[in-house]
Parts: sequence; structure tokens; C-alpha cells
Amino acid sequence: MAAVEEIIHRAYLNKLVGEEGLRIVECIPGEEITDERLAELTGISLNTVRRTLYLLYEHRLAVYRRKRDPDSGWLTYLWQLCPENFDKALQSETKRLLRKLDERLAYEKENIFYACTEGCARFVFDEASEANFVCPFCQGSLEYMENSKVVETIERQMVDLKACL
Amino acid sequence: MSSNEALDYIRAHPEGILQSDLWKALNIDSRKCSRIVAKLLKESYITREVESSDGIRTYRIHYTEATRSGRFRSLLAVDVFEPCAGCIEECTPEHCAKLSEWIFAIVMGLDGDAAMENA
Repeated sequence: MAAVEEIIHRAYLNKLVGEEGLRIVECIPGEEITDERLAELTGISLNTVRRTLYLLYEHRLAVYRRKRDPDSGWLTYLWQLCPENFDKALQSETKRLLRKLDERLAYEKENIFYACTEGCARFVFDEASEANFVCPFCQGSLEYMENSKVVETIERQMVDLKACL
Repeated sequence: MSSNEALDYIRAHPEGILQSDLWKALNIDSRKCSRIVAKLLKESYITREVESSDGIRTYRIHYTEATRSGRFRSLLAVDVFEPCAGCIEECTPEHCAKLSEWIFAIVMGLDGDAAMENA
């Protein structure tokens, strides 16, 4: 069984394939295994096992090899984990997140925000003004919301993320 | 003072750092330092061993080089993995509720740290 010990790897897998998926991953041995055998070992439905394996494949964290049964002609898929690709996968997630945070940072810097005092939502100035500074959801008032902490947090997070690359 | 800042400081000292020096260097009290150290130990970012300094028992703390996950720890802020991984929804970072939730959770986490420092 492949124990996923790194905290960040477990958290990443949990995000990608959920708790059941993580249980499946932990049952994948060092050598190749079929999806049917994994379903037997884990007691998790074959559909879920296949969905998990394909998600791992999409993120280059698993590979498969097809083998044709000489008698029946049926194709069998033999799966194997690629734990050596975790760093590459996390690097690519980091780059993707950096692009999103960059867009979000620009939006936070370019706008002035108003928030519902009841906590319903946050609006940019034009939206708040059009609504006469009244929350369209609860009719509460919309008040100026300072977002410098949000800007600082995104900037700081981006510095930390860039340091990962 | 966040645990990330403490970890950066520990990482900058490859020879290790005494816990009794760490809290002074970080300008926090020893109780706050113990909480941060406990968190970092739990997450396997550091190791520590007992050491005596001027007859006083303390710990020498080392950054765990072997823990490669430390490199990507920023993806896991406030114990929540960043929301874009595996996301298949139409992407609008300006209005994405999941991204907002993650960012605001970090802001609140930082506020929580500040509140603890002021307590």
C-alpha cells in the first residue's frame, strides 16, 4: 500500500479526488493494479475508482497500461501511481493560482467596495450606487469596506507562492 | 507573527536555533512561540531535540529539509488547500466565491494571529 505521508500531498489529493479517492490512492500498491481489484480492496464502487484514477491520470499522478486478454480479447487497464510527479503537479498548480491571484489583485486595487452590514455580499462602488447603497438581498445598508488587508494578503501570498517555484 | 514567518526564520538557520532564542528573535512571548512550534512540529515542518543552554533546558529546532512539502506550503493556507486545484467551473477570479472564501480565511487567520499577539 502506498502511504501518502507528505501533508501537502495528502491535502492536494484530498482536494482533487476527495476522501474516498484518498483511500483508493492509499490502496494502490507499488506495482500495477486493475481498477476492479482496487474496487474489491477498498469496497468503493468501480465507478468511483475509475473516476479517481482518471482524475489522477489527468494530473499526471497515475499512468495506465492496456493489456489484451488473449482468450477473451478484453482489454484490461493496469494502473500505477506516479508519486515522483507530485512536485511538478504542485508547481503547475502554483503557477495557475498565481495567475488567478494576479487578476484578483488588480480587481481589488482598481475598485472601491461596499459591503452589506448584514454580511450578505460585497459590491463595487457602481453597483452599490445603482442600488442606492441598499442591499438588494436584505434591504440592509451598504457601507464602505476597507480592502487594504485583502490586498496585502494577496500580495504576501503571491510572494510566498513565487518562492515555491 | 504567523507560523509561516517563524518557519522562514528557522529555515534561515541551517545550524538550528534554540527555542529560547527563537521567541526573543521573533519578538513574541514564549507561550506564543510554544504554540507556533507545536503547530510546525505537528505539520512536520521542523524537528527539535533537547539541549541545555547555560544550564537551562531548551530545544534546538531544525527545519526539516526532507519535508519537500514545505516548499509548497503556501498552497495550504489556514489548513485549506487553495481552491483552484481541480476546479472545473468557469473561471472569474474577480468574483469567484471559493477564491474569495480562501483569501478572506487567510485575512481572518492573520487577524487572529494579531489578536493573539495583542492579548
